[in-house]
Amino acid sequence: MSSKRKAQGIHQEHNLTGYLFILPLMILFAVFLVYSFYFLFQTSFQSVTISFKNPEFVGLQNYKIILKDLRFLKSLFNTLLLSGANIFIALTLGFLVSVFLGFRFRGVKFFNSLFFIPAMLPVSFIAAVFSSMLEYKEGTINMFFRAIGLEGLAQQWLSDPHLAMFSVMSVSIFLIGIPIMYYTADIATLNTSILEAAVIDGAGLGQILRFILYPLLKNSHKTIALSMLLGGFREMERVYLMTDGGPGGSTEIIGTYIYRSTRSAGSNLGAVSAAAIIVLIVAFIIAFIQIKFFNSKKGE
Amino acid sequence: MDLFKATKAEKWMIKLFIVGLALLWIFPMYSVITNSLKVEGLRNYSYVLTNKINKVPFPYYFVNSFIIALGSSTLVLLTCTLSGFAFSKIEFKFKKIIYNAVIMCLAISGPIILIPFFYILKNLGLYNTHLAVILPEVVMTIPFGVLLMKNYFDSLPSTLIESAHIDGANMWQVFFHIYFPLAKPAMINLGVLQVMWSLQDFLFPLMFLTDSKKFTATVAVNSFKGVYGVTGANLGRYNAALVLIGIPSIIIFACVQKYIVNGITAGAIKD
Repeated sequence: MSSKRKAQGIHQEHNLTGYLFILPLMILFAVFLVYSFYFLFQTSFQSVTISFKNPEFVGLQNYKIILKDLRFLKSLFNTLLLSGANIFIALTLGFLVSVFLGFRFRGVKFFNSLFFIPAMLPVSFIAAVFSSMLEYKEGTINMFFRAIGLEGLAQQWLSDPHLAMFSVMSVSIFLIGIPIMYYTADIATLNTSILEAAVIDGAGLGQILRFILYPLLKNSHKTIALSMLLGGFREMERVYLMTDGGPGGSTEIIGTYIYRSTRSAGSNLGAVSAAAIIVLIVAFIIAFIQIKFFNSKKGE
Repeated sequence: MDLFKATKAEKWMIKLFIVGLALLWIFPMYSVITNSLKVEGLRNYSYVLTNKINKVPFPYYFVNSFIIALGSSTLVLLTCTLSGFAFSKIEFKFKKIIYNAVIMCLAISGPIILIPFFYILKNLGLYNTHLAVILPEVVMTIPFGVLLMKNYFDSLPSTLIESAHIDGANMWQVFFHIYFPLAKPAMINLGVLQVMWSLQDFLFPLMFLTDSKKFTATVAVNSFKGVYGVTGANLGRYNAALVLIGIPSIIIFACVQKYIVNGITAGAIKD
């Protein structure tokens, strides 16, 4: 359908008009993005502080430093871990909830909105709420455990190095609003006669979910997985407000790593730029796969 | 109608699952609300609303948030509608290459670009102004916005251009009189999304604003913690401030849920 539409359009060239239409975009991109890439690339070979005065050319040294920096490697790993948690929860819990909300029962509209609300709220807000909820002494979770006599379950959720990353990842459960949206849109276009046929053949709920609905929604799975993979590199406030990368760097992600390194006094921004370049390359590769996927879908 | 026929027992399981999950959802809300009433009850709210925090009256943070949200939304609509139309309906040299390059920029995220943006904004003399947050937010949304607008214009017939050309209209007239009015639904979706994303933004205002008079509501959350501390009466005030910051987002969401859903799904699943 779309390829036919794409083939239409005006075949005569209107170079000047075309460029005038994209002029505002080109100005913003030239000033902010093209220059940024150039700046990052150049700075990544220099030793320089936030004043940007007297840069000193150091060649590949920054890249050597950054690739040996355990905190950076850990943050890259944690970023992918966070993306992985987001994807896993979206493809399981998000999928189940979307299908279940396709049934009619009392209050289904209310539940639909309820599950969506956290996706609309600023992540910084959710992180702040969770960080006070998970606090050891006065947090609601531990108070709840103590109240029902399960004192042993009260934990140092955010300051125990073994638990902190799990606490941060658990917030993902509440961020399934956007995946639900994708699934719901996809489910609305499904041919329900397949499902009816399965019911007549005696398939139960579990079988329909696993063998029919899950494979049928595979385009949604891919869309969600790819966009959430990139989403990990956008994360910052969740970790920043819940654990600030701690304890001992155990929850550091790319977002907090770059922010902290930029802000801490006297740090070498050349090394941070080298880190940014490395992350940028990884992100571009993911985006490239994503676009390839969408283009191939269009060609169907 | 149900998605498919389930047995009575299965339907009970579904309901139980959804209700159980809803309880889990309500727990953080319950937590923040009970915390916000600690020690002084509702007086925590009146304290937050009437006392200055960082020498700034609390409602003022919302004014900043909305100035930035509306500013970035307007600029996103301007750039993305014009270029979305061009990429869809006008033939010009290097169109495909430029379009693909713009879409590739979906990969860029705030943290990666933090240092160069800081440098650029300082040199443009924009650091610590509303524009220092508006412009980066606009740049970050453009790839998605262009994708959304181009897809929308692709779904409108091109024959309108040819007949308008025969009548002697140029491309600008064609755009403003024919396609621009037709593009309103997509523009509303994109505009609403950008307002929402801007209200959610944390990193750019945190990094590019240092004057508390310019702070947005989300950054203010962070500074409250330092100002209030997290024990006793202050814990209550801090949580009351949190509730007050969450409320506008929920109200906006209730009014425009339809546009947000349309916008996000149009940018992905439909081609």
